[in-house]
Amino acid sequence: MDLITLKNIKMGPLIPNGIITGDWNFVIAILVGIAFGFILEASGFSSSRNIVGTFYGYNFVVLRVFFTAVIVAMVGLLYFGYFGWINLSQIFILPAFWPSMLLGGVIMGFGFLMGGFCPGTSFTAISIGKIDGLVFTAGLYLGIFMFSESFPLFKDFYNSGNLGHVTLTDVTGISASWFAFAFVIIALTAFWITMLIEKKVRKKITEYKF
Amino acid sequence: MNRNYLFLTLIMLVLAVGLLFFHAQNKPKQVPPDKLLWDIIQPTRYVSTDNVAKWIIEKDPSIELIDVRGADEYKAFSLPNAINVPLDSLITTSGSEYFGIPGVRVVLFANDDILSDQAWVLLRRLGFKDNYVMKGGLNRWFETIIKPQKPPESDPKTAFELYEFRKGASLYFTGAKVSTSSKVSKAKVVFKRRKKVTVASGGC
Repeated sequence: MDLITLKNIKMGPLIPNGIITGDWNFVIAILVGIAFGFILEASGFSSSRNIVGTFYGYNFVVLRVFFTAVIVAMVGLLYFGYFGWINLSQIFILPAFWPSMLLGGVIMGFGFLMGGFCPGTSFTAISIGKIDGLVFTAGLYLGIFMFSESFPLFKDFYNSGNLGHVTLTDVTGISASWFAFAFVIIALTAFWITMLIEKKVRKKITEYKF
Repeated sequence: MNRNYLFLTLIMLVLAVGLLFFHAQNKPKQVPPDKLLWDIIQPTRYVSTDNVAKWIIEKDPSIELIDVRGADEYKAFSLPNAINVPLDSLITTSGSEYFGIPGVRVVLFANDDILSDQAWVLLRRLGFKDNYVMKGGLNRWFETIIKPQKPPESDPKTAFELYEFRKGASLYFTGAKVSTSSKVSKAKVVFKRRKKVTVASGGC
């Protein structure tokens, strides 16, 4: 006798629960990839000016797009979990290696600012024929190659400070929905404040093109 | 400023506020693991077949007997006035209305302890208190109440008192007459039923 007949309930994630086979992995990856690229390009992320504008304070579109993506996914997943469409405990959570992630984030931020692209947007830049995107991507592959070759040097640091598959709820004890609520409030406030900042800063810029 | 932005901001805000409301409902009320473990190892969560027999005979109104076996087994045999709540229907709303009634002690039983123990843990995790497991289940019931064994002569007086009680209870439940020799046929009927139950319990 089954203790709880959860097995018969069809719910996501689709592949781990056998609703679709693992062969769909790459099909879904391509579809998601196309959608991601489209959104990046449609949001104007192929332009370095848009991306570094966050740093200089005249264009916060990167912040708004990514915050939107985060809060929609966050709130959406919680609703899906509530309606029983997805089992949130089955979702893969990237393990947190905090020292290496911290340093990696700083390096990536500098790269972002100096190159004017992030890895994803450099490809969308190539797709619309930008030469700086092409150069950036060449540098990206060079960086990957150099990192891979010198990996034994960083290996210990790379694997240090492993917190495991933790979520913010595990670390802070704040429940997921309260966290999501707070995050949405912060994000929405940021949207409106950045719009005001943009207005002020752009008044002083005489020449402004994307 | 774009009016669409305002609209989207409001939608997002409403959805986020909605999160807080459903969270309160959705959070399962669960007993913390350490407390659950403590409760599980308490021997007081068991009641003996003798106690159950006594309560049934005395028609104790605060006792609720719950048969957690399947409906077929329940139809074949169960204790008097027992309610059938199969284990897999415990977590549904239709099954849970029998539990958590103030002043009512719930006695769970099955063929042995396994199913009733599972049901007990489930109920405890769902937050219901005053649940007990009939130790040994219906198998023990037949061994002790329906077909009690006479204790050896060397046993203390209490063992004989218990035996007297069990003999009386056996007569009560089997409906046999007081005369000891003529009730053999009745006892045989009972014995057949026991066989059925044991076969089913072997499959669990």
